[in-house]
Amino acid sequence: MPTFTYMTRCDGCGQCVDICPSDIMHIDPVYRRSYNIEPNFCWECYSCVKACPQHAIDVRGYADFAPLGHSVRVLREEASGTISWKIRYRDGREKAFSFPIRTTPWGSIKPPFEYAAPDAAALNSPLLAHEPEMLKVDTLPTLRTAAEPA
Amino acid sequence: MFTTNPFTPLTDFVSAEVMQGYVVLMVLAVVIGTLFDLLHDKKLAFFLQERQRTRAAAKQPLSGADLAAIATRTLVNDIATFGEFCNQQRRISHVLMFYGFVLYLVTTVVMVFVYPTDTHPPLVLPVLWNIGVLLTLVGGYWFFFLLRVNVTHDGHPPWRLVRADLFIVTLLASVTFALLFEVVAMAGSSMATKVFAGLYVFFTTLLFVSIPWSKFAHMFYKPVVAFQKRVEEADGSSSLPTPTAPRGERCPHSHT
Repeated sequence: MPTFTYMTRCDGCGQCVDICPSDIMHIDPVYRRSYNIEPNFCWECYSCVKACPQHAIDVRGYADFAPLGHSVRVLREEASGTISWKIRYRDGREKAFSFPIRTTPWGSIKPPFEYAAPDAAALNSPLLAHEPEMLKVDTLPTLRTAAEPA
Repeated sequence: MFTTNPFTPLTDFVSAEVMQGYVVLMVLAVVIGTLFDLLHDKKLAFFLQERQRTRAAAKQPLSGADLAAIATRTLVNDIATFGEFCNQQRRISHVLMFYGFVLYLVTTVVMVFVYPTDTHPPLVLPVLWNIGVLLTLVGGYWFFFLLRVNVTHDGHPPWRLVRADLFIVTLLASVTFALLFEVVAMAGSSMATKVFAGLYVFFTTLLFVSIPWSKFAHMFYKPVVAFQKRVEEADGSSSLPTPTAPRGERCPHSHT
């Protein structure tokens, strides 16, 4: 079930527009609030649901863990590094879960653009950029050419 | 300069009674427009339906003192300082527009009804009127050109206007022409005064009459929704998970 926005809660901050991997969260021209322009293309990835600071976006959860009539809400807390879920079933029962998002402080990981651009000759290598040092190993297995002995 | 009643030059064209009647008509337009918007778009029905649903899901009843404390927090945090916004620039621009517009409106009503023909009312009134105009213009143009979400996040050019811009455009046009009207009236140009007075009245009328199609009424809805949201958090009817941090996290660090 694709995402939808509670218009009364949305404050039109645009975080969902930025984060949507399918580029389907846009700004409504009448109310200047977010809306899903193409529900058929929604991956139900929950990125916008987690990113929304007003908790204004909702998705109906998959039927294998939450049958019809339920509600599934998520709360992402950067300061404590947790993500919490609450499922409320239609008979009133509730289940709540909290998970750690990460073990390092927010913003402490060096983003890709802060690394030096790899040498152009590396295009001929089967390794990806900054491998193997970014994987914190000395070497990675590579494919042998036919001429090389086993 | 800027210390005289900006509305006395209008009495050259219209009587004080007509000016006062116009203000009353605009107040009626706000009331009727907001009621029409509430009923026609079923906003009131949706709000009452949601309130009924959350009341049924409430886990602990709230006392009158609890509700008063929530109302105070809503007033201080959500209404007076626009704490809902995580983006500080949007927050500041809304604070400027809100207080500027309120100052502008209140001083306008006082000068039109109490000192309509008095060129020199108490100094505080024209000064506050001009401060209100300037605050509205600074916050408004900042918002219009640099902070509108369809421009900053959706990639629209700033000059592309949609229906959601009706409120901000008419507000800016009305207040801009109010200031220009005051300036040309002080300069003594009769023709320019007439032109800018006409534009001022046109855009002011459009601002208040277009409420059913504009975002004007969100000023009234937002505080109610903010209060209801805090009530849901307090009485346990909120469908959101309980925060793991002791006081929760209103705005994620990456969004501020």
